[in-house]
Amino acid sequence: MAGSGSSDIVHSTAAQYAPYILLLPMLAFPIILYLGKALNGNKMWKDTLKEGGIIALGVMGASLLLSLWLVSDFIGAYGGMEMLSDWTWFTSSMWSAGDVATHEVSFGFGIHIDHITVLLLFVASFLCLLINTFAIGYMNTDPINDNRNHRFYAEFVLFCSGMLGMVLADSFLWLFIFWELMGLCSYLLIGFYYERPSAAYAAKKAFLTTRVGDVFLMVGLAVLWDLFGSLDYAVVFDSYNIEAVAASSSGTLAWALGLMFIGAVGKSAQFPLHVWLPDAMEGPTPVSALIHAATMVNAGLYLVARMFPFFGHEALHGDLADLAFIIAAIGGTTAVMAAAIAFVQHDLKKVLAYSTMSQLAYIFTGLGSALYLANTLHWHKYLADGTVNADYYVNHAIVVVAFGAALFHLFNHAMAKGMLFMASGAVIHEVHHAHHHLHHHEHDDHHGSNNPEELVMLAKHLSENDQTVYDFFKSIDLDDSGDIDMFEFQKALTATKIANLPPWEMDALVKAVDINGDGRLNLPELDLALGRILSEVDHGHHDEFDAQSMENMGGLASKMPITATAMLVGSLSIMGFPLIGGFWSKEGIIANTWRVALDDPRFFYPAMCVLLGAAMTGFYMSRMWLKTFAGSPKGEVAANVHPTNTWIKTPLFILTFFSLGGIVLASMGFTHWAPDIEYGLMSDHGGLWGGFLYEMEHVFANSDPFFFILTYIALFFGAIVGPGLALSLYGGALDEGEEAKAWFGPVLALNAAIKSRYHWDNSAFAQSGFATALSNRLYFDHYYDMAMLKIVAAFSNKAAETDAAVIDGTIKAIERTSQDLSTKLRSLTTGSARDYILMAAVGTLVLVGLIWGVVA
Amino acid sequence: MMDWISIPLVGFPLVASLALLAFVGNASPAARAKVGPTIRFLSLVISIAMLALTTAMFFGQLDGDTMLDWNTMSFGSFNFEFRYMWIEMLGIHWSVGMDALSFPMVWLTTFLLPITIVATWNEKNAAVYFPLLLMMGGALIGVFVALDLFMFYVFWELTLIPMFFLILKWGGKDRKYASQKFFIYTFTASVVMLLGLVTMYFMQPENLTYAGDWTGRTFDIPTLISHSQAANAEGNWFLGESMQKVLFVMLMIGFLVKLPSVPFHTWLPDAHVQAPTGGSMLLAGVMLKMGAYGMFRLPLALFPHAAHHFQLYLLLFGMVSLVWGAIVCLGQTNLKKMVAYSSVSHMGVILIGIATMQPLGWAAALFMMFAHGIISPMLFAVCGAFKHHYHSMEIGAMRGMAKHSPWLATSMMFAWMASLGLPLLAGFVAELMMFLALWHFLAAEGWSVLWMVGPALVLALTAAYYLWSMQRTIFEGGEKTQPPESLHGAPVPDIADSEKLAMIIMAVFTILFGVMPWIALDMMNGWTVGFFNSLLIPILGGA
Repeated sequence: MAGSGSSDIVHSTAAQYAPYILLLPMLAFPIILYLGKALNGNKMWKDTLKEGGIIALGVMGASLLLSLWLVSDFIGAYGGMEMLSDWTWFTSSMWSAGDVATHEVSFGFGIHIDHITVLLLFVASFLCLLINTFAIGYMNTDPINDNRNHRFYAEFVLFCSGMLGMVLADSFLWLFIFWELMGLCSYLLIGFYYERPSAAYAAKKAFLTTRVGDVFLMVGLAVLWDLFGSLDYAVVFDSYNIEAVAASSSGTLAWALGLMFIGAVGKSAQFPLHVWLPDAMEGPTPVSALIHAATMVNAGLYLVARMFPFFGHEALHGDLADLAFIIAAIGGTTAVMAAAIAFVQHDLKKVLAYSTMSQLAYIFTGLGSALYLANTLHWHKYLADGTVNADYYVNHAIVVVAFGAALFHLFNHAMAKGMLFMASGAVIHEVHHAHHHLHHHEHDDHHGSNNPEELVMLAKHLSENDQTVYDFFKSIDLDDSGDIDMFEFQKALTATKIANLPPWEMDALVKAVDINGDGRLNLPELDLALGRILSEVDHGHHDEFDAQSMENMGGLASKMPITATAMLVGSLSIMGFPLIGGFWSKEGIIANTWRVALDDPRFFYPAMCVLLGAAMTGFYMSRMWLKTFAGSPKGEVAANVHPTNTWIKTPLFILTFFSLGGIVLASMGFTHWAPDIEYGLMSDHGGLWGGFLYEMEHVFANSDPFFFILTYIALFFGAIVGPGLALSLYGGALDEGEEAKAWFGPVLALNAAIKSRYHWDNSAFAQSGFATALSNRLYFDHYYDMAMLKIVAAFSNKAAETDAAVIDGTIKAIERTSQDLSTKLRSLTTGSARDYILMAAVGTLVLVGLIWGVVA
Repeated sequence: MMDWISIPLVGFPLVASLALLAFVGNASPAARAKVGPTIRFLSLVISIAMLALTTAMFFGQLDGDTMLDWNTMSFGSFNFEFRYMWIEMLGIHWSVGMDALSFPMVWLTTFLLPITIVATWNEKNAAVYFPLLLMMGGALIGVFVALDLFMFYVFWELTLIPMFFLILKWGGKDRKYASQKFFIYTFTASVVMLLGLVTMYFMQPENLTYAGDWTGRTFDIPTLISHSQAANAEGNWFLGESMQKVLFVMLMIGFLVKLPSVPFHTWLPDAHVQAPTGGSMLLAGVMLKMGAYGMFRLPLALFPHAAHHFQLYLLLFGMVSLVWGAIVCLGQTNLKKMVAYSSVSHMGVILIGIATMQPLGWAAALFMMFAHGIISPMLFAVCGAFKHHYHSMEIGAMRGMAKHSPWLATSMMFAWMASLGLPLLAGFVAELMMFLALWHFLAAEGWSVLWMVGPALVLALTAAYYLWSMQRTIFEGGEKTQPPESLHGAPVPDIADSEKLAMIIMAVFTILFGVMPWIALDMMNGWTVGFFNSLLIPILGGA
């Protein structure tokens, strides 16, 4: 309970300083914003302070140091759990039926540190610093960002504060508060290039989609609060409180957790609330790396991981198994779906976005399985009736290892995906610069021509079909009114198969052509616009170069060796290539899901999904690397790319070793990272070497034949089938004379050999309806937009009409009636003396009659 | 002891504004224009002095030797209580006082007056405009400090007059229709309320304290409340069951229209769209809260039995306002109309909070009154600046504001985010408390959790209309944005320094009360606890 200082554990000095981890970046937010406004354009501000980048770097460095202090303290101490909850935020009162007086309820703020916190705290503060470094090299070298980078860094540090705060907070309430703060920063940063309609649309989509999840999260929190009378971890995770709730309302608790899980689905971009993440790539690449790959999207996982004490409690044994299955099933579905969509993406960042979605889904599946195990196995030392549990050692190990594998994958994925995004940013940055350099473009052309793409396509369509603008106009102006509205125009665009746009984009399109500003289009307006566009297209002004498309890359391995290495290591980690970071955790997730499947047949679904997903991951990650770095450059731009700058290279270099070092972390015991007396780092299996031997044996020579076979099936899928298919289809040898680093040699040689020997024609697949559906993201976005347009927008328009016509109409009718009445009365006021005398006489008569009637 | 302090607080702005109006009343337009800046400055000084006074009251520095403590006042006691016999025959007193219910509203009024003056610094016909704002402030404070039913009603109606003229003289195209609709609509509802008050006056037992010589009845609110309390304690309905129900409904009609609640809300969008910025700021900021304040002060305190009886109807009104307001918002194309409907939606939160019959819900309602009182003036200030600079109120008339008018864009985003309930800004705490209280009520009544999804989805709807409008104002536009047609080729301006100042102050206080809600919430909580323990719990069925 807040304000009561519920912790018995002596606070370490590091924990006393923990609030500064989130306060420092939060304080830096207004400072950077203010200085950026005050010093805008100043030379020192720009060159030395990097428009706030250096301030942000300093603050994030301090946060990292404080975090490392806390982490080392925690790991050294085996404290289990530590809390600092000494601040009351606000208090109010409640009344329970039957009481004579109200009782106080208070909402506090505090710091909560346990093994989940520590893991996420390190991930967040470490990556915030590295990506901040990267951002200085990425953002400050692009003229488009000049004089507005301070906005980027201010929002960046505010985001970091939100993420660190969410991890450190000691209650679901403050988790939610920081969660929303991150949502705001995500919105602002996706919309950083506010002048692009696509960025504005993507920002709104991200905020709204996650908001739908947040709504359920908030309801879930309300239900949880009502059950426990608090949202503090100290209260809701208290063993006696859980027992009390379990006895009376375990079903309600399941509802609460289920509703909260919907919030996690939205934040972590899982099916069916996944649509926002690929669009969020509109933000600058550092934003994609930090928020939409390494940290914020983990918030949903963090929330689910936080629920562990409920699932693991004996009193709720079996009650939450269905929810655990739902979590795993949502994860499995998303893993396969996102991986399939990643097959056909050409945009480098979009491949990574779908990969993020898919890997997060793996972690959800892993968490679902771990929670299922925790909820259905008797894994505590004593059973509910107090007798000693005979299966304690076996079951305890199963639960801890399953949970640890999911958390470890979170760690590995964050490191690898942060690095992959930064590497992709380096590639895009250099391709973009090469393009600029070659074509001497002015800055204004950065976003291409201002002509909306749809109008360009329409102009081309008309010229190809020899149709005049007049004929076209007549064909769509069905009522011959001389002008067409947005909806008629939309129908026409749909009919010509050019585009099917949501109303807000249609509106922008109409605005672009609508010269007289009446919201409708007439013939001269359309003629003028299309004529101008056609002449521009003919003169080749339209800039269609896309620096993010892998179709414009290829053969970059020799030109950007550090980046290529980082990308290779990151991809291998995501694929689960033996001995590298992601391998240990991914194998763990697959094995544990199958372990549950043997117990509960429903889990065959997520289990099959993750196994299949392993092969799919191998394919799309390899495809991405090969299309970007192998083969000959596609086009002259790719041939002229140069290595990138030091700000960008440094974080890539560091993270490469983190992913490669997965074996060390696994040997240290991070595969079963738990604050548990049974499990310590470096101690279980006799130090680092013993841990290494144990892990190797456990994975490659498992004594259980089922898991032995499963491991090799997964390896075969993920490291041979998937990459093999990609090797046979994409890439090729580098051009003559291009030198690659020695460690790419085998990869490139293998790639060339397989491609020349096993290359096959995949055009039948590429042109199939399934591939079309995939490249349209399985039409989810389309149907969501349609639902918004046809149901929500239509209904609200109808409601606005009803409000004016019916509700206000009633009032107006009353008003009119009374007005008519008074007009009629007033018409008696004729101004003629004769009428007045008559009226006075009639009035007197009536009055006399009345009095007489009363008296008589 | 400075018990008389409410007299200048109410009287000074009223007298000053009347004096100023009398002074400029007969002047020629040229002379008026000449004294305009002086009068504007005087008005600002007066309003700041009032703010200083109420702020000193908050810090407890005004009460001589004893510190004021707003947080632990016992229920039914008032600070600065002052009673002066006015019309002895009828028992009408100049009776004023402040408790933790009225004080936040008084402070809010004095806070908004200087802000409104600064935000609309360049309003035309300054010599008349600014005194009218002062008069508005004096009348509003009068409503909040009145402890006499007669006084309460007089000030209640007095607020209509300056607002009527503000809309009529400084309003938009349809100002005539809007001002008349505003006046007649709310006046009609007030007449129903007045009938209720008069009925109550005559139905009450004779010879209570402060009763009139001739009538033997009293207008004194604390006396009536304590009498109602005594009746409750004996297990009786004050004034009898059916009479109490009838009176409750009559009073509520007046307050529900003022709040406003769906379906009595249609005067609000018209009034707001036509009203000048300053009028809208005070209208949304304080005048709507008169409705909620009145509910707490009169029907809920006097007729708790009836309030309990009509609990589900209150909930219904609240839910419908919340949901319908948000849905209609989404269908608006006029920026100011959208914001006006969002007020309707937020007032639904207040009604739901009341309907939960939980101290938490009531504190949520009180805090919502206060938070919305800071946020909604900012919303309207943004709308006003938008209209002022782009000569249009249509969403989408101006795009790429972030480039052309970064200050306005930032203010807009801040205000919009505050209104959609972003955590750490003032509105969030109120919404959170309302949700917790609502679910507690529904769960206790055995309702399904699905009932929560409706009001919760309003949060998403609110985000939808605000984000949608920002997408088409702040964002987009491309590098080569054309200024809107309505500017006729003039360069795109950003907001003036006075507007910036007003926006910054409102933003700072929105953050302040979002991060440190206890500043205002503690006294509200103290008041609700007192109310529940002394009035409501026996009725709700406490042992």
